[in-house]
Amino acid sequence: MKENSTRSGINLSPVYGPSDANGDYSRRFGNPGEYPFTRGTRAYSGRGWIQRELSGEGDPKRSNEQFKYLMTLGQTGLDVIGDSPTMSLMDPDHPLARYTVGTQGVSLCRHDDYRQLLDGIPLDQMSISSSGPSMFTVASLYLLAKERGVSPGVLRGSVIEWPFYSEHCSYAYKMPFDLHLRMSCDVIEFCSKEMPKFHGFLEDTYFFSEAGLNAVEEAALGFVEIRHIVRALLARGLDIDSFAPRIAILTNCSMDFYEEIAKIRAMRRIFARMMKEEFGAKDPRSQAVNIAVHTSGLSLTTEQPANNIVRGAVQTVALGLAGVTALEISTFDEGYRTPSKEAHLVGLRTQQVIDLETNINSVQDPFGGSWFMESLTDEVEARILDMVNEIESLGDPAELVSSGYFKQFFHGTMGRYHRQVHDGEVLKVGMNVHQMPAEQDTLLRDISEEKIEPLFDRVEEVSAYRDKRDQKPLLDSLQRLHDVVQTDENMLEAVLECTLAGATMGEIAGILRQAWDTPYDPYGYLESPIGSAQ
Amino acid sequence: MSPIRVLVGVLGMDQHELGAVGIARMLRDQGMEVIYTGCFNTPETIVQAAMQEDADVIGISSHSWEYLYYTPELLELLKQNDLDVPVVLGGSVITEEDAGKMLDKGVAAVFGSGSAMTDMIDTVRNLAAGAATS
Repeated sequence: MKENSTRSGINLSPVYGPSDANGDYSRRFGNPGEYPFTRGTRAYSGRGWIQRELSGEGDPKRSNEQFKYLMTLGQTGLDVIGDSPTMSLMDPDHPLARYTVGTQGVSLCRHDDYRQLLDGIPLDQMSISSSGPSMFTVASLYLLAKERGVSPGVLRGSVIEWPFYSEHCSYAYKMPFDLHLRMSCDVIEFCSKEMPKFHGFLEDTYFFSEAGLNAVEEAALGFVEIRHIVRALLARGLDIDSFAPRIAILTNCSMDFYEEIAKIRAMRRIFARMMKEEFGAKDPRSQAVNIAVHTSGLSLTTEQPANNIVRGAVQTVALGLAGVTALEISTFDEGYRTPSKEAHLVGLRTQQVIDLETNINSVQDPFGGSWFMESLTDEVEARILDMVNEIESLGDPAELVSSGYFKQFFHGTMGRYHRQVHDGEVLKVGMNVHQMPAEQDTLLRDISEEKIEPLFDRVEEVSAYRDKRDQKPLLDSLQRLHDVVQTDENMLEAVLECTLAGATMGEIAGILRQAWDTPYDPYGYLESPIGSAQ
Repeated sequence: MSPIRVLVGVLGMDQHELGAVGIARMLRDQGMEVIYTGCFNTPETIVQAAMQEDADVIGISSHSWEYLYYTPELLELLKQNDLDVPVVLGGSVITEEDAGKMLDKGVAAVFGSGSAMTDMIDTVRNLAAGAATS
């Protein structure tokens, strides 16, 4: 008989008993809402999770309509993704961006874009989770709140910080690691002062785990990044309790049902102990980490897309049992595109059916005390900690980024996953088992294959916009930003000034690179608007 | 006989690299020499690399519709440079209809996510052999 194991390679016994789970209840589990938060960060509320779906396509106006549609369906938070250029700090009129403007997310590059994007969205009520570049999202949200007479202090939501891994397996900023880290730290520090309810530091393990990582690898790399950023913030003289309550984690959820639940329970416990015992956090909120989840796009298939609905539902049940704060389902058309209107409907309704019809939220951490689940949680936790120690023992993690260690690592996991799927080691119904001929595979196919055309008009419009701006204040603000980068000052104030002067995200990012003695345009097409400033 | 040389890359702003890395490894395991160009390629950089490296086959992995625009440009640029190197496309995002369109434009082969490994390897071998004799 084939030995059963999790995707991380943890062997599973067919049956578990009292001897498999041991330990002192209050030390290892605690009640929900109590240290070490294995069973949940809050005492039972029965509220369930924030329900949202990945959104953003075309231009800001079209995305705004999408948000409003999702809100009419009962969505309780926004989850926004930029198109590939936006996610990579590139304006739509960059020569490399042309064919993909607005096709896999929304195209954003100016403050006015954010005004349109969030038109009519109640900023004081709606949690806004943005995958877009954090510094620019925070700058525009902050300015927008002020323009609308809303205190930035009431804004809720999150932005992703990913200085370690974004260059190698998600969206490259083409920036030196130290600069990217500085941006992250400046954003977190700014948010902890000006937007105290907002998570300026969302550790996003989803993006890099889609490079074929297993649950243990995903969590371990996430903690390596969290720990490094925390140390960098402490080195600035910040108090751990001034920013740690606003750290949150966004994880992946594969189809490995039990292991994913164990991963989330283990991550809460690791985070709590790390914050309290290692970093000296005293505020319980600094020790309790909210975990939101984006279900795995990699687990889905383009073959028989309807099967993906089932995958999303199963993952949602796992996450409901694990007690996550918010979630979005990768929808049935994920293999081809960002969600269609139909996929949004199915994704949200899946969440709502599970939330409202199954009694899933009646009991918190229902797996708590299960011989099997506690044993698996312990094992996942031990393996995550081992891997964190192993990586940190190799030297300064920042050096590992620069030396290409993580790039190598990701290429290894990508190759491994690719082989596992082709060898049938990872089974995917409809793709490598129970396939059907293409002519029969028609259910939901037409919707899934419908394309989003690139916005050539927007390319022209943004290009024309550049000359329409009042050049003097614009160039002055960019020059000032250039100067600020060379000091220890937080860059956010200068970024706000540039944003108000009409600078684009691409320009601001270019100035940051230039001030760091690296090319303004890493792809070599564009010149800096301030010339070769000193 | 010298090993088959295959250039593997991703075009434009598409940063989904898993398929490209997976294919590159698979071809290397078959004894082929893979010139891996990673992401952020344009038709120009691909053609340049293919010339410099004497590639027998060009493999483009795609998880973005950008390939619909870049592939015809790549084919045209190869022609302009008198470079008779077959182009193979791969990626789950490529629909059957689009695969047909790309084949009509002159792409040598198209593979989806569920394609059998042996098919892909055999196709690359045959194309390389064809390119060598032409």
